[in-house]
Amino acid sequence: MFTRRERKEAGQGYLFLLPALLILGVFVIAPILYAVFLSFHKVELLGGANYEFRGLDNFLKVTFDDRAIIALKNTAIYVAVVVPAQTFLALVLAASLNAGLKGQKFFRVVYFLPTLTSSAVLTLIFMWMYNQNGLINYVLKIFHLPTYNWIGDPDVALIAIMIMNIWATAPFFMVIYLAALQDIPDSHYEAAELDGAGAVQKFWHITVPNLRPVTSFVVIMGIIGTFQLFDQSYIFSGGSGGPNNSTLTVVLLIYQYAFKTLGTMGYATAIAFMLAIIILVATLVQRKFSKEESLY
Amino acid sequence: MRPKKWLSSLGISSLLLASVLSGCSSNDASKSDKTEIVLSGWGGNPVEKKLLNEVLADFEKEHPDIDVKLNTINDQYMDVLKTRLIGGTAADVFYLDAFEAPALIETGAIEPLNKYVTDEFNVNDFEKPMIDAFKSDGELYGLPKDYSTLALFYNKKMFKEHGIAGPPKTWEELEQIAKKLTDAEKQVYGLGVMPQIERMYYLAESHGGEVITDGRASFADDKVVKAIQPIVDMRLKDKSAATPSEVGAGQSAGEMFGRGKAAMVVEGNWNIPYMEETFPDIDYGTAELPTVNGKKGTMSFTVGYAMNSESKHKKESWELIEYLTGKEGMKKWTSKGLALPTRKSVAAELGFDQDELRRPLVNGASYATVWQDGPSLPIVMNNFNNQFLSAYLGDRTLKEALEDAEKQANREIKVTE
Repeated sequence: MFTRRERKEAGQGYLFLLPALLILGVFVIAPILYAVFLSFHKVELLGGANYEFRGLDNFLKVTFDDRAIIALKNTAIYVAVVVPAQTFLALVLAASLNAGLKGQKFFRVVYFLPTLTSSAVLTLIFMWMYNQNGLINYVLKIFHLPTYNWIGDPDVALIAIMIMNIWATAPFFMVIYLAALQDIPDSHYEAAELDGAGAVQKFWHITVPNLRPVTSFVVIMGIIGTFQLFDQSYIFSGGSGGPNNSTLTVVLLIYQYAFKTLGTMGYATAIAFMLAIIILVATLVQRKFSKEESLY
Repeated sequence: MRPKKWLSSLGISSLLLASVLSGCSSNDASKSDKTEIVLSGWGGNPVEKKLLNEVLADFEKEHPDIDVKLNTINDQYMDVLKTRLIGGTAADVFYLDAFEAPALIETGAIEPLNKYVTDEFNVNDFEKPMIDAFKSDGELYGLPKDYSTLALFYNKKMFKEHGIAGPPKTWEELEQIAKKLTDAEKQVYGLGVMPQIERMYYLAESHGGEVITDGRASFADDKVVKAIQPIVDMRLKDKSAATPSEVGAGQSAGEMFGRGKAAMVVEGNWNIPYMEETFPDIDYGTAELPTVNGKKGTMSFTVGYAMNSESKHKKESWELIEYLTGKEGMKKWTSKGLALPTRKSVAAELGFDQDELRRPLVNGASYATVWQDGPSLPIVMNNFNNQFLSAYLGDRTLKEALEDAEKQANREIKVTE
């Protein structure tokens, strides 16, 4: 089959791969396999690990766990609002910064600043602004708009996190859009101008279609990122997902089951797998849609 | 040529491997004849920390062969502790809140202490409800380092301005006074309320109902609903009560009180040093909580020292616990009044029952409900608090909210079984 030389060469190759394989195996593959194992068991890791095989129990439990359903609903609403909003905002910001206005370099820096702040710090700053007597209510009062108990009112708490996250992540995608915008040939715009197209028409008929591959990337990254919302709602609610479960997300629920309640590690991993599947499906659906409309 | 190539590739691989593995090896360079034991707790305020360090220094002086390392976990204490216990890196001795104790005891992560306790140590000296909170099947799993009860804090100036002689004695009186002291325009409320089961557990059970029955949530029981209804009515009907977050006072009733947004709040011992430090100008008094149904009641919270069942230095760990909860250690620890001593003899010696502000708190110890009710309490608490809030804000009736919460809590308890 193989000559000695070939075998030797292969052996040598694997030897070089060994450190990488070992690290990947220990830190990536093994944890995944262990998680698969955990998701079929009832697990108590404290006081001498204790595993009890439960089959599909952990996966079926979700159906009668109201909090899991609330968490999924919250997360879905969050994704449905935040992903389109931040994508659109990023596109508009990028286009306006690419239009050759005065001082655009300065604004590029200013717009990008929120992205540089760690999300924990950002959340704390926003919580301070969201305070009943805080900055945001103060501004709303000036314009005679209704004020809210942003942190304590279950009806608006999730919206408060949405606003915070859109504001914080849009600039990151803006930079990606900016890079893509530079790649659109000027000749397209010139041709459109000759045909008498206005600025809005050029934006919708040249800029947006040309950016479709990038939009697809931005949306997928956005979906993955928003489905994994954790830190903001964790800090916002002090780890509880309150008030009244309104900021409970799937990842926060997983955290609670894994580390807060004892003996539910297996259930937590089962939910984690289901979340992974949901993200996978959402991404595939998105890809399918963006492929159907080809560029030219 | 070929064998050399082989050798060099082997050399590089092993070098890489070695550099990875060297990160894992532990450097146990500090080899002295002293036994080092680790004590974990939460941060607390600077005064508290200084005090604890002093007590530990005293202990080390008396036990020259033991070196105590204090390791504070500042945030999410229980999550960190559990993770460390699983990973086998937890401290030898650690703080344990009575509320979380039963679930942890069940797992076997905590060392039973009966075999260490001597007659000389005198367990009977401890306040009974506090020490019972750490017992399971007659076995002792922790020793309460201190405790606090809840009492009514009232703003003397506001009381005087409205011609009210003194703090309310009954719940009905409290409701009337709260109405009088409310000034909606200035956002001043009669009573500042923390909408949490941990603050009203005693109240919930005051009409004969039970929050938890046989490890299952049972707080949607009419007796419990009836008992809590007055709290909700005060906010929605009388409009004489509010939560701290409604008046921009963060999540703390103490802050609401200190800022003059509430004439009365139900708070614990920790609020006394807090007021001294942050709001020294407020003239306030404390009183035992008003009676409900003619019966006295309050909550008591206690924290104990527990030993890791996987500790390698159990004898030394016990010596530490023995010292910290012994007469001498506890006297020093509670001397500044940050927490109340669980040993009756120490309490008598320090004279907190003579202290004007602390007397109502100390008096409460004898009839208080300890915040501990079996392994399912954390789940029950979480669900109760979550849904109670919606009733408190008037989104739906209390009965509806609690029925929902009870159903969900019991499902969750089932999930953990």
